[in-house]
Amino acid sequence: MNKRLSEKYTLLGSNPKTKNNLLEGVKSFAKSPSIHFLLFGLIIVLIAYLAVEKTFPNIIPYSWASALSVTMAYSVASIGFCLLMGYSGLASLGTGGFIGIGTYAVYYIINVSGLSLWLAILVAIAVAIIIGAIVGFISLRIEGIYLVILTLGLSEILRNLYVVIEDSIKIKNFEFVGFLFKRQHAIYIVMGLLVIVMIITHNIINSPTGRAMLAMKNSTAAAQAMGISLIKYRLLAFIICTVYAALSGVLLMVTLRSARASEGTGFYALITSLNILAAVIIGGYKSIWGAIFGTFVLYGLKTTILSNIDFLSDELMVFISGILVIVIVMFYPGGLAQLIGGLKYKIKKFALKLREAKYGKDLG
Amino acid sequence: MAFFLDTLFGSLTPMCVTALVTLAITLIFKTSFTTNFAQGVVSAFGAYFVATMLTKWGYSIWLSVPAGMLVSMLMAIVIDVGIFRRGRYVNALGKQIITMGLISIIVGATPLVYGIATPLFKPFIDGVKTFEVAGGSVAFTWNSIFCAGITAIVIVLIFVLLKYSKWGLSVRATASNEYVAGMMGINTHIVTALSWGIAGALGALAASINASSGTTINIYFMTNYQVYAFLAGILGGFSTFHGPVIAALMIPLANNLISYLVNVANRPDLTGWSMVFVYVIALVIIFFKPQGIFGKKIAKKV
Repeated sequence: MNKRLSEKYTLLGSNPKTKNNLLEGVKSFAKSPSIHFLLFGLIIVLIAYLAVEKTFPNIIPYSWASALSVTMAYSVASIGFCLLMGYSGLASLGTGGFIGIGTYAVYYIINVSGLSLWLAILVAIAVAIIIGAIVGFISLRIEGIYLVILTLGLSEILRNLYVVIEDSIKIKNFEFVGFLFKRQHAIYIVMGLLVIVMIITHNIINSPTGRAMLAMKNSTAAAQAMGISLIKYRLLAFIICTVYAALSGVLLMVTLRSARASEGTGFYALITSLNILAAVIIGGYKSIWGAIFGTFVLYGLKTTILSNIDFLSDELMVFISGILVIVIVMFYPGGLAQLIGGLKYKIKKFALKLREAKYGKDLG
Repeated sequence: MAFFLDTLFGSLTPMCVTALVTLAITLIFKTSFTTNFAQGVVSAFGAYFVATMLTKWGYSIWLSVPAGMLVSMLMAIVIDVGIFRRGRYVNALGKQIITMGLISIIVGATPLVYGIATPLFKPFIDGVKTFEVAGGSVAFTWNSIFCAGITAIVIVLIFVLLKYSKWGLSVRATASNEYVAGMMGINTHIVTALSWGIAGALGALAASINASSGTTINIYFMTNYQVYAFLAGILGGFSTFHGPVIAALMIPLANNLISYLVNVANRPDLTGWSMVFVYVIALVIIFFKPQGIFGKKIAKKV
């Protein structure tokens, strides 16, 4: 290896001759996505801790804790939707109704029966699997926009059911893993579950299942010809999406503590399903980070950042978020993930140019 | 018998509103190939304008409603020309998200334009008529009869235009294949913009009818009917124009009939379930006839 090349490698920080295996190990460990997810969870929990506990000089406003908690709870549903839309090529507007499964599971298990949150999560998952399987079977017969409207109908059925069964639900503080969880502590449960969901989703995407879903998205006929069972993967996609939505409902109930089914802008209404859809599109429908970021734009941005700007009234903020959604859809079809990815690429290119200017072109 | 007739008269207004909204949504679906989620708020925006003219500025209702329809029409045309024409190559889901962004814009703009006070509305025609039949008395408002008449005239007019006018022909051509229609010399831009405009006007009319029956106006007050309209669209089949409208008439009627049957069976505890029944029946029908009741099966090339 000539001198110039070796110099370049050291600059890039990956000299193949390095014998320091420990350092390499740490590096590859730090590059694994699971660690990123965990770190992300820890950072959010830290921010929320600073906001809630007020032991420090008040760096972070109190309202951030609940805003982050709500955002991250909705993010679970967004990630499920990301898997459904970005990887399986299916779409649904049933998210609102599916979220209700979780909220009612929490209400009945914790508040009415006085049992633990673990059981509530299990019940929510079990019911969600059944409903997701029903939607999956329907999706075999009906496709495209018709399926979207059909899931909307299903969501309306669920919403009407909720109104009939118990319109307004509320839960009190409850004990979980030995602690008494108050409203402001909800973020710890939310982040714990979110990180697990992120890791599972990342693994699904990169497993043969994820590949099969991707094949199904690009062409159902070709996927079938390659031996991919449509019924299996469509069912799976809808079940995962529904389970995530139900989990998101559990987390929302833990965070917000009350819900009203008959409210036009409540959890179960069409607007929630549309918001989740929009969040995934804004963030970039093939990226977990994108889904979380899109959800933050729709649910968290208002409370955390925009509310500090004085001349922005609530109405104006809704107005601006609408414009933002349209602009992103029209000009960045890949969402914010594409925008950031593009930026990264440009920075890399710029760095390469700088190096070339300094050391000359790489001729090897 | 009396109660049955009461139920029938009671479902007149919802039937009118759903039919008008469904026709509007079908028009947009056929020409722009998207489900317009913003239809409800565009209609509500028009209703706000009508109410403002009516109570704040003191104009008569006969002048206010056409003016409100004009406002919604212009708004819808602006949406098409300003956004959808430019977003031609956005995929189907993206288009839906654009309409969803429009919801946010209009919901945010409405209080900025009209203030936060709930606007008041009044019926087109006052008066309640009561008559006796076997088993009791039946009451209906003249307003609901008038609204039914207006709706029937408007819907028949639009269907005649669709069937026999040059505009109708170009709409049908655009609906079947926009690209080829363009090559055949049809100005698809104008067809689409006009369809949006007509849909907006129909929406405002529907919202006015809904408000005139005593419903409180707010920006989301048409959303329920919009959901009915989507369901009616796939129940009747989006491949025709008449299918969704017929299905739209059936949904509120079925809802009220189920309430009626529940009352006859003396089970008032089941009243809240009527919409659940309607949805379940509709979904079962769609499951067995995915193209809708009146739809045609379209073969797809692989």
